[in-house]
Amino acid sequence: MRVSKIGKFFISVKAGILSCAILVLVTASTVRMDSQPPDTPLSTNLSAKLISIELVPKAITLWGADASQHFLLMGTFSDGLRRDITSEGQFSASKPGFIVFDKTNKVSPIKDGELFLIAKVKDKKSRSTIKILEAQEKRPFSFPRVIGSLLTKQGCNETACHGSVPGRGGFKLSINSIYPRDDFKWIVKGGKFEVLTEKSEEPKEPRINLENPEKSALLLKPSLQVPHGGGLRFGVDSPQYSTILTWIQAGAPYGEKGESESIRIEKLEVYPKESVLNLEGSQQILVTAHLSNGRKEDVTGQVVYEAKNGTVVEVAEDGLVQAKKRGETSILIRASGKATSVRFGVIASPLSSYPEIPENNLIDKHVFAKLRKFNIIPSELSSDAEFLRRICLDLTGTLPPANRVREFLISRDPNKRKNLIELLLNSPEFQDFLHFRYAEIFRWYGGATQVAKDTNLYGEWLRESIAINKSYDQIAIERIAAQGYDGPSRFYYQLRFIIPPPDMIAEQVRLYLGRRLDCARCHDHPFEAWSQDQFWGMAAFYGRMIDVRENVMVDSLIVDDPEHIGQVIHPKTSKVVEPRVLDGDVLPLDERTDLRMKLAQWIVKHPYFAETFVNRAWDWFFGRGIVDPVDDFRPTNPPTHPKLIKALAKYFRENNHDVKKLMQLIVQSRTYQLSSYPNDTNKGDRINFSHALPKPLDAAVLLDAISHVTGVPEEYINGKQGFPSGTRAITLLPGTPSSFMKLFERNERKALPEGKPEPALSQALHVLTGKTFNEKLTKQGGWLDQILQSDATNKEIIEELYLGSLSRFPSRGELIRLEEMVQKRPRKEALESLTWAIISSRQFLHNN
Amino acid sequence: MGDKKPVLNFLEAEHERRQFLRVGGLSFLGITLSDYFRMKETLAAVGKGIPTKAQSVILIWLSGGPPHMDMWDPKPNSNFKPIGTNVAGIQISETLPKTAQHMDKLSIIRSMHTEENNHPEGTYYGMTGHRPNPAFRFPSFGSIVSRELGVQNNVPPYVVTPPLSYDHSYMAGNMGPQYNPMIVPDPSQEDFKIPDLTLPKSLSAELIQDRQTFLKVVDHQFRQKEEFARFNKMDSYQEQALRMILSPNVKKAFDLSEESDKVKESYGKTRFGQSVLLARRLVEAGCRFVTAEGFNHSEWDIHFDNDKLLKENLAPRFDQAMSTLLTELDERGLLESTVVLAMGEFGRTPNINPRAGRDHWCHCWSMVLGGGGIKGGQIVGASDERAAYVAERKVTQGDLFATVYKALGIDWTKTYTGLDGRPLYIANSIGDKQGHPVHELI
Repeated sequence: MRVSKIGKFFISVKAGILSCAILVLVTASTVRMDSQPPDTPLSTNLSAKLISIELVPKAITLWGADASQHFLLMGTFSDGLRRDITSEGQFSASKPGFIVFDKTNKVSPIKDGELFLIAKVKDKKSRSTIKILEAQEKRPFSFPRVIGSLLTKQGCNETACHGSVPGRGGFKLSINSIYPRDDFKWIVKGGKFEVLTEKSEEPKEPRINLENPEKSALLLKPSLQVPHGGGLRFGVDSPQYSTILTWIQAGAPYGEKGESESIRIEKLEVYPKESVLNLEGSQQILVTAHLSNGRKEDVTGQVVYEAKNGTVVEVAEDGLVQAKKRGETSILIRASGKATSVRFGVIASPLSSYPEIPENNLIDKHVFAKLRKFNIIPSELSSDAEFLRRICLDLTGTLPPANRVREFLISRDPNKRKNLIELLLNSPEFQDFLHFRYAEIFRWYGGATQVAKDTNLYGEWLRESIAINKSYDQIAIERIAAQGYDGPSRFYYQLRFIIPPPDMIAEQVRLYLGRRLDCARCHDHPFEAWSQDQFWGMAAFYGRMIDVRENVMVDSLIVDDPEHIGQVIHPKTSKVVEPRVLDGDVLPLDERTDLRMKLAQWIVKHPYFAETFVNRAWDWFFGRGIVDPVDDFRPTNPPTHPKLIKALAKYFRENNHDVKKLMQLIVQSRTYQLSSYPNDTNKGDRINFSHALPKPLDAAVLLDAISHVTGVPEEYINGKQGFPSGTRAITLLPGTPSSFMKLFERNERKALPEGKPEPALSQALHVLTGKTFNEKLTKQGGWLDQILQSDATNKEIIEELYLGSLSRFPSRGELIRLEEMVQKRPRKEALESLTWAIISSRQFLHNN
Repeated sequence: MGDKKPVLNFLEAEHERRQFLRVGGLSFLGITLSDYFRMKETLAAVGKGIPTKAQSVILIWLSGGPPHMDMWDPKPNSNFKPIGTNVAGIQISETLPKTAQHMDKLSIIRSMHTEENNHPEGTYYGMTGHRPNPAFRFPSFGSIVSRELGVQNNVPPYVVTPPLSYDHSYMAGNMGPQYNPMIVPDPSQEDFKIPDLTLPKSLSAELIQDRQTFLKVVDHQFRQKEEFARFNKMDSYQEQALRMILSPNVKKAFDLSEESDKVKESYGKTRFGQSVLLARRLVEAGCRFVTAEGFNHSEWDIHFDNDKLLKENLAPRFDQAMSTLLTELDERGLLESTVVLAMGEFGRTPNINPRAGRDHWCHCWSMVLGGGGIKGGQIVGASDERAAYVAERKVTQGDLFATVYKALGIDWTKTYTGLDGRPLYIANSIGDKQGHPVHELI
């Protein structure tokens, strides 16, 4: 029933020096016009009406004899969906004799000129401009473009095969041919890849045989003429085979002179960027490469497609996407040297009516726009009770006391939510909790790994920074460039050693720029374009840090010593590494006076900086980042809401990196205030923020909450140091032992936070029999003990318990049932059981 | 209805629980259905019809690194004499006279080669098969075994006794806390009891059950919302925890008072001896993996007075508990189903240092293993004349793990997916390569 299947022949390589370039010419001078008889109705089985059509891309330039371009015809329908209707279109050229239009909807040039390609469906028309230049010119050969993309398309350089860190079967290729120079070397000269050294002891075995090209391993293996672990990749009579053979016969050149002149893909542009299909729907993807020479090229047939969730859509080798099941997935697109992704949603059928949803601010605009597009209706606004518990836990890590809950629930003030937000943002609890959040990401650690005095100084600096609402970029700068004996400089000491530069830089890049460079420490990143050289170039910024105190008995003093240059050594070349920012050049010699300050300023100005923080803050409130995990931004892990993250980052920058303001914006949005009760359209949605999802309470917050409900504070002892009674877990000195928090996976801050707390059997045991869940209930002077001695009725006690722990009144049914249950049992024991049940309940253990 | 007693509630809860079990299928085992199918597949694929014998593992950990040439691989640079064993042709050092009588049950690998020469990294390496990497927290051997084999008879599947140093080494890391071991205090203490497995005085079994009915009422509203994987896990752990607390065999497994004084004596009434005894009890009850340490932190790290400390203190304690364990496992028919390993994080230097001690040495060392279908009475590999380097048949940590996995019917070629989709071999060998079972032993 449907559209183009781009035939195998399309994979042929269009290389100038190759005589075998395959171009299927339909006829020399005509354009195919017979795709459908004019009166055939739209095969798309729809009640929706076609409103307009659009031919994509709108304007192209075909450059050289080998250029070609696929076209798509998109239809906008009355049900709001855009569908790929290429197969329904009739195509014609405004002038004859300039182009060939083949049955895969691909245009190839015949001679120079400018014309329109016109598409028609019934009475609707759309056209695109085609410019043809140098139609007689063959393109010069380039190894990266021809061999590199062939190896990528055939999957040879995937991580599971030769693209893995040490390669496979002694043959190494860079993933997606990111480093074609290296690939060229491995193929033409041979050699075995060693992770940490440039030396290789074994004899080099070239993968090609110039004397006898057909005996080249590069041909024998993939065509299975000799055993190949990766199986058959292409046959002897395939175009791939002949491309490689021709290349070897021509002497296996690298192509265009010099690396800088060779044309590389700089960016991949994908159409559509985001697409919604209904079941049975399909969509062809178009991929355009922006080349380093300024030209654009259609690479639709030369890239690899991979659906992250193959149960939602299926994507064919040629980029045709077929909907399979309701849901959402991204499709990874890997081209030679670059990777990107697009998002596909599959819906059952478009909703007949979509309600108007009020928007509070820019967040709602972006979130609701996507929901609408994906036919998901957001949940209702949360109830006051839901909202109250949620916001108190999110902004302060603290449960609201029963009387405040009652007050809030009863109040009829239309501004009560807004006022509460104000109140909380200016509370001391807010500062404590932000300190706790910062303590995790800035790693305020302690215990055995740090001198207590240093721990205190560092924590104090964080506390002051929060008290004066220091901007986030300022905090980052002070922390990265810390000198002397300042609070933030204490971070760099672990048991009187300065953290080594490579450990430090991986963490800083992850924290501030949301990128994971760790792999690149030992080898080029296997999935991303981070090289080992880039990693060490960044590490070099920390290379001059030394401790200048006179002896180990006095406090350490950190300075950057300009003479101290030999510290950061590249593990592979054993040479001193020059400081170089991630996507930039080596820092000029005369700018190296204050290296870490240079780095700090570069980091905070980088667009990644604000994006990374807003994403982290988003995760604090929604339990999931717009990019998730929050510090793993990469083309193959795209944001669910690309525009939202940009908009938030812009807001954050324009408001002077004011964290409080950003949080205010988030919690004032309707998105944040949506209920956690799902509706039929959003049940099961986990990534579009269509309703609130439960967030497990952090170990410290949970412990505080239990202490709060039971009225029995936790006692802590750290070595000989005691803490005042009522000390809260969220403000606790790091390293202070707590068996409860250990069990509930407290972040020990030995590394940046990773993942969310997970349930475990040991926790379940502790809930049943552990002292936190038992001793606190029965303790003399605790809440239960006191209230039992008062004249409160069972009903009052139950109500009070619900308000203080779940921030809501019990429902009528709950109240009746529980009262009855309490009455039938010994009173004290029954109320203990009820309190236990409440603090063990799903609702109590989560924030919704 | 008016006088419903806790006992009735208990039955009600019991009834509901049974229903839950029916609905939840295997969830009481703490494994999901897909885990179960995978396990079945693995057993089918790996076992190839041959029933696997091993069900459990006891890892005897000698913290600090034992001197291999003074124990399992006697060489001229040892001041101890080699002695014969109950297997013709196998000699070990005179420091281990009792274990020498059980060499038919054990095999020695004399060509272990690992990559970390310091305690924290070496211990991590020994327990995970990976060098520490700031980008990933690797799961321990015990976590993987307990994940692959699942819970048996409600007994916690992975126990460490007593707590070791370098605790990140034996945890589940990024695999998730559900695969962390249960950490049990020093079993030789008078007041030895397991936290959270013992009911507090204020709590009876009936009361614990009765509380579930309250929980049901409180949870009811929230359960109307939406199910999440996390909630299912919580339910299944809760179910499992209840069974553990209420089932007598779990309590019994940890109750050393059931052992006679004579038996306790035979293991040695020390931290180490009692931890090995507890390991035997746990395995008997159905535990999958017990790491028994019992030696103090780095007690085998004999940089001073190697010979004296070994002869007078370390070797006799080890020798006694090890030989008793093998005897008892054999007598009770458990040796068939229990893999026993004894090793430290590395061996020690061939040279004796000026302080009469030996220092760290990971290049070539020895360990012993047996039981669970692993052949005894074999020598694998050989070191050079000073036990300094591998002379033949290098064996890596990944090979060792693969051997044990094979004995347990676990597909040793399996990988877990790390962050970024990086595949992690469960039997990870040097250079992130696949480890292979030591075919001489299995």
